[in-house]
Amino acid sequence: MSCMKPISLLGHERSITQIKYNREGDLLFSSAKDTSPTVWYSINGERLGTFDGHGGAVWCIDVNWDSTKVLTGAADSLCKLWDTQTGKELANFENGSAVRTCGFSFSGHDVMYSTDKTMGRSCEVLFFDTRDQSQLENNSPYMKITAPDSKVTSATWSNLDKELISGHDNGALCLWDLKTGSMVEEIMEHTKGVNDIQLNKTGQLFVTACKDSTSKLFNATTLEHLKTYKTDRPVNSAAISPLYDHEAMDVTTTSSRIGKFETKFFHMIFEEEFARFKGHFGPINSVAFHPDGKSCSTGGEDGFVKINYFDSQYFEFDFEV
Amino acid sequence: MAEGEWEQAPVRKKHLDRNSEGTDDRPLENGMDEEEPNFSDAEDFIDDVTDDELLGDLLKQKPSEAVGIDSVVVVDNIPQVGQERVSKLKNVIRKIFSKYGEIITEFYPEENGKTKGFIFLEYDTIENAFKAAKNMTGYKLDKSHTFAVNVFSDFENYGDIPDDWQPPEKQSFVDHGNLKTWLMDPDCHDQYSVIYDGGETTAIFKNTPSEGVLVEARKRWTETFVRWSPLGSFLATMHQKGIALWGGEKFVQIKRFAHPGVQLIDFSPCERYMVSFSPVLGVNEEPLAIIVWDTRTGYKKRAFHCETACQWPIFKWSPDGKFFARLSSDLLSIYETPSCGLLEKKSLKIPGIKDFGWSPSENILAYWTPEAKDSPARVTLLEIPSRKELRVKNLFNVGDCKMHWQTQGDYLCVKVDRVTKSKKVQSCNFEIFRIREKLFPVDSVELKEGIIAFAWEPVGSKFCVLHGEPPRVSASFYNIKTKANIELLKTMEKKQANSVFWSPTGQFVILAGLRNMNGYFEFIDTNDMTVMNSREHFMATDVEWDPSGRYVVTGVSWWSHKVDNAFWVWNFQGKLLQKCAREKFCQLLWRPRPKSLLDKEQVKEIKKNMKVYTKQFELKDRQNLTKASKEQIEKRQKMLTDFQSLQEYLEETYKGLKEERLHLRGGVDTDRFDSNFEELEDEEEVEFFLGEEITEIDEFEYE
Repeated sequence: MSCMKPISLLGHERSITQIKYNREGDLLFSSAKDTSPTVWYSINGERLGTFDGHGGAVWCIDVNWDSTKVLTGAADSLCKLWDTQTGKELANFENGSAVRTCGFSFSGHDVMYSTDKTMGRSCEVLFFDTRDQSQLENNSPYMKITAPDSKVTSATWSNLDKELISGHDNGALCLWDLKTGSMVEEIMEHTKGVNDIQLNKTGQLFVTACKDSTSKLFNATTLEHLKTYKTDRPVNSAAISPLYDHEAMDVTTTSSRIGKFETKFFHMIFEEEFARFKGHFGPINSVAFHPDGKSCSTGGEDGFVKINYFDSQYFEFDFEV
Repeated sequence: MAEGEWEQAPVRKKHLDRNSEGTDDRPLENGMDEEEPNFSDAEDFIDDVTDDELLGDLLKQKPSEAVGIDSVVVVDNIPQVGQERVSKLKNVIRKIFSKYGEIITEFYPEENGKTKGFIFLEYDTIENAFKAAKNMTGYKLDKSHTFAVNVFSDFENYGDIPDDWQPPEKQSFVDHGNLKTWLMDPDCHDQYSVIYDGGETTAIFKNTPSEGVLVEARKRWTETFVRWSPLGSFLATMHQKGIALWGGEKFVQIKRFAHPGVQLIDFSPCERYMVSFSPVLGVNEEPLAIIVWDTRTGYKKRAFHCETACQWPIFKWSPDGKFFARLSSDLLSIYETPSCGLLEKKSLKIPGIKDFGWSPSENILAYWTPEAKDSPARVTLLEIPSRKELRVKNLFNVGDCKMHWQTQGDYLCVKVDRVTKSKKVQSCNFEIFRIREKLFPVDSVELKEGIIAFAWEPVGSKFCVLHGEPPRVSASFYNIKTKANIELLKTMEKKQANSVFWSPTGQFVILAGLRNMNGYFEFIDTNDMTVMNSREHFMATDVEWDPSGRYVVTGVSWWSHKVDNAFWVWNFQGKLLQKCAREKFCQLLWRPRPKSLLDKEQVKEIKKNMKVYTKQFELKDRQNLTKASKEQIEKRQKMLTDFQSLQEYLEETYKGLKEERLHLRGGVDTDRFDSNFEELEDEEEVEFFLGEEITEIDEFEYE
């Protein structure tokens, strides 16, 4: 399957770590190892600006539902809150170790981020209410969750901010109750580290991307394992299409062939691969669907963000049933 | 004295008390009944000083009984001499027997002033006693005295043999079932073994066109690798303790062979014998490195030493399993089965012999010797067991030779590296012996370039040579015509290949560039010398044809390459059929098939009626295909309906939570993507600058 007009966004000097669309889909946010998270117009790839302030590789980025604020976490142990339009830094959270994953709550008021495990310090997930100035100024989260032995590699708010889903380095998936801060459920469906967790449009299902070369679909409330999508390479990122019962997966390959790094598309229900496209010159680290489902973006190790619009073939495709 | 012994003392004391009061046990030397000071211990004294502490140094010299018997040898047929010659005799005996170790004691029993004729010698160690017994038995001291030497413990062993002879217990016949069940598969699917998970799991699959059907998978079935026996009856697994053979429909264990530290294995072509190698040193001078086993009974037939590093298999078998031979410096040792003794009780002395090989179809050996002072290098064909030299070919300016027998035994190719006087490699010659013709005529083919690979067509008369230096490698195909020369069919240039793999049934061949050539394959039909297909399996390390020649597997083994481990199944034309990725895939081996039971006439008949059979097979294939697609459609239907019921449930739940969502986002309805477009106050029109184009307008000419 070929895409009609892939737009290449080159602004980052180092590899891309995460990309995120805003809710309306007109803006695309990207974070990279080059310390400058960037925002672009998704329609033509024009760069709007960068958020300057981090001193290390930026691992994660998120935008709230009304696109007014941006959250980033970096290897300099800081998690920063920004004003989207002006690029001004609104808050700065200091930590003892690198910030690996971050996210706004459904309501947009609260933020969470996870810190890495270091010597003497276990991995934690911290929660702040952005409306409460004292929390921001005194760096005092209203809640802290200490992760079990294996560090958190990916996490997301769930069930209308009542719960948190976390993926870990050892393949575990945990469900936390955010009222009490305790773990409700832990499952070991994956055998190696979980690289990415993304919810579907309604937030009721989520897909995981794992180093064990599979991507799996789960029920977000019960953590019930529903589907498995198999490949022959470790999967770095996965996303669910808001439009069809499709799911896109990114696979890394270690082949030295040019252009052999591919994004694969699977049918969510039948678990079968039906399309793939190449284009990146290195492993693909993050993938995201545009909220209208008509395009998707991929961010790679080569520093490029590519926006791919789907052709008619993609929309007309269906399995024989 | 131990506490327990105290019990007896009071008794003794009582006894003595009749005679003396409070004295100790030893009677007074002078018997005097005087009042002596009381030297005895107090009544409740416990003597806890051990003998070791008191007499330690004396006790050390006490001979220990155990060593005594096993390191003693009995020598019989010693001359019976009188007193005056005993010391001379002792000297002689001592001198002879000291060769094997230090003699600690010697005992010459006498009777009536003469030595009895047998003596006892005690050695310092058991091993030395054994050695003496082994080597000195049969030693001729003089005309009338031949020693008979035995280890003393032998007497006990032999003496203990019960008088009534009990016949050995009859071992009940263990029926392993039909070892050839896999050949009865109605669709003639071949089996292959796969080792993956880095060696943890071994599995057997049935090769079907769509995908391999699992027959059996076991964890830790083998500790290193597996091997099929040459006719496919057994699967051999390697373990620290030895080798195990498995077979039958359920792959039960047929036999176990104990050989600690075993590393290598080989079978005779008839499967009756197995050879195993372990780099372990023998015990008591008993060889343990190489063992020849009888596969069916599990008995050790014979064991050999392995003095120098050689190439495995050390023993090469004749095609009928009657002989096996091995090379050592200047010697060719041929053994016959089932006795495993040397043929005619001696090895063949062939000075300088470098290499040899059996014909795959007859008991003929080919070997070559390099140039010697007074004879040129030569290749000799030897018939076994007659040892008749069937053919000798002299060669000149020879640097090195390699022998390649064709699989049917029709031809022998000797690749000769020709060198100049200064030992520089000049060119390469192939000497082709025609085995089926009288007097074994030899033809020669010369090639100026360096040879990378050589392979005979397994059934047929062609061979393929890869020559040149990468990247300019060429593949040349030759055909041997009867009664004429060897014809060069075609040379294909600029090939990316370092190995040649012929299909076992002939005609088709794969030129492969393995490992550092990145896994590039070309499938060639040698009937018309066309390249059917060129394909790639990145970083492939192995190629294995199935026994029927229909399928071929290329694999990336974890043993050589740590990522992308998988095996791909192709058909003989180069069409990719399956891609099987397996975590840490190591090895795939096809199960060999025994020779067909059909004779040439029957095969001809079947080929004639191919059309009829083809129709039947095509019908069956089509049925299978529709069945598969129907199954798949049914599977998909089920998955769809199952998921749809979940989706309905989720939708209901979603609707129910709408109010909460509105509340969280301050009353803004964000459910649908375009849900609040109506609420947008102003539409922003954005113009994007795309580019500038300048066109020059010619100046108007004014009138």
